[in-house]
Amino acid sequence: MISAGIVRGALLILLAVVLVLGLLIVGNRLVRRHRERRRERIAAPVRGSLLQLLCAEEDEQTELLNRLAETDRRTWAALEPTLTALLGKVAGGARTALVRLYELRGAAVDAVADLSSRSAARRGRAAQVLGQLSHRPAAPSLCRLLADHDPEVRLAATRALGRCGGPEAVSYLLEALHGPRAVPPAAVTRALVSLGPEAQRSVATGLEHPQPLARAVAIEVLGATGVVSRTSEIARALREDPQIEVRVKAARALGRLGMPEGLEPLLAAVRPGQPVALRMVGAGALGTLGAVAATGPLAELLGDPDRHVAATAARALLQIGPEGRAELQAAADDSGGPAAAQARAVLAESAVGAARDDVRAEVAL
Amino acid sequence: MAHVLIADDDADIRDLVAFKLTQSGHQVTAVEDGMAALRAARENTVDLALLDIRMPGMSGLDVCRELRATAQTATLPVIMITARSQEADVEVGFAAGADDYIIKPFSPRELSSRVTAVLNRVER
Repeated sequence: MISAGIVRGALLILLAVVLVLGLLIVGNRLVRRHRERRRERIAAPVRGSLLQLLCAEEDEQTELLNRLAETDRRTWAALEPTLTALLGKVAGGARTALVRLYELRGAAVDAVADLSSRSAARRGRAAQVLGQLSHRPAAPSLCRLLADHDPEVRLAATRALGRCGGPEAVSYLLEALHGPRAVPPAAVTRALVSLGPEAQRSVATGLEHPQPLARAVAIEVLGATGVVSRTSEIARALREDPQIEVRVKAARALGRLGMPEGLEPLLAAVRPGQPVALRMVGAGALGTLGAVAATGPLAELLGDPDRHVAATAARALLQIGPEGRAELQAAADDSGGPAAAQARAVLAESAVGAARDDVRAEVAL
Repeated sequence: MAHVLIADDDADIRDLVAFKLTQSGHQVTAVEDGMAALRAARENTVDLALLDIRMPGMSGLDVCRELRATAQTATLPVIMITARSQEADVEVGFAAGADDYIIKPFSPRELSSRVTAVLNRVER
């Protein structure tokens, strides 16, 4: 049996630990607030000039730009977080003025140097600034930063590459998907999509990548950016890739690409015996594809033993248009069974949606 | 000159919008949350409200619905501000009774033009 003294001692230690932790949290917040207020106080004298610059006509900007670019190091350091944040929030002449201010100050050069800083916060902020400035010469350094030991820095470098990288960044981004310092696939996908048409040839090389995740991401990017010239390769991935995640992405991409070559592989993907996830995504993709030839096979799926597949097929029929709706109506008018239930449910949902759209249109008008 | 109410929890945006609208000759009341916006709209004679959709506590959408539900502010023109990544909010904003919306990133000049356009529409 444990003595009362030991229990009391343990409770006291626990209380002390909770108290210390609480004090640390409060102290940390106070320090942060103090630093933030200090930063605001230092930046306050030039904040008015900054707002004036952002709202000025182009011919009125020069004097303000020069005045802001000549601020001392301490004031600039205090103002910079605001500038970085505003770069992502303003557009048009205001954004151009900010970019010119960074150029005048030589801040892009400083940011490139900061990419090698020992502080992770500085590396991350430098990557963010370079991305916002679309500073292409920084791309090779940002590619190296994809392997940074800090996950936030890797993420900032990925986003920045999406803004300022080119085709040469594609292989680095695809490699960043693997290993102990991996970058989340969604971030890599967004970056690759942002690279634009000039990088899509390099993205297509990812279709042959030995890692399934890289193939899946390459397929998703090609589908999202509408690279129709790769339809046959994506169709082959849907038919032949050994990994289900790659086949699922290929099915979705074929729907988005909307090419007739996508129809046959998608119809094969929804047949019984294929994995349920693939059948579901395939059925949805047939709806996105909008091919009238898919109405018959989709109508057959309304009675599928898997209700998720059946429900997706019903929604896909609705998406196809009048021919799909006619198939749904025919199934709904049938005597009963799961197919009729699925068709009725989707038609009812569609009627509610249409009524809601009418209300929205009235409000908007 | 109109009296414009701005509600945004982002101090940079709040200050920038206030500066631009003051420069354009409007009187501005700037607040940082939904509750304060509602109070300001009820206590002052406001001609237009610019509301950020995503604010902690009471969102811009909630404020808009409340304004529409009160006789005194039911016809107050409302412009919603939203981020590009939250464009789906626009539809909900219109359903809540907004008259127009501005998507971040935005140009201060465009914002001022939108405010003028909505005010002109109301005057007519």
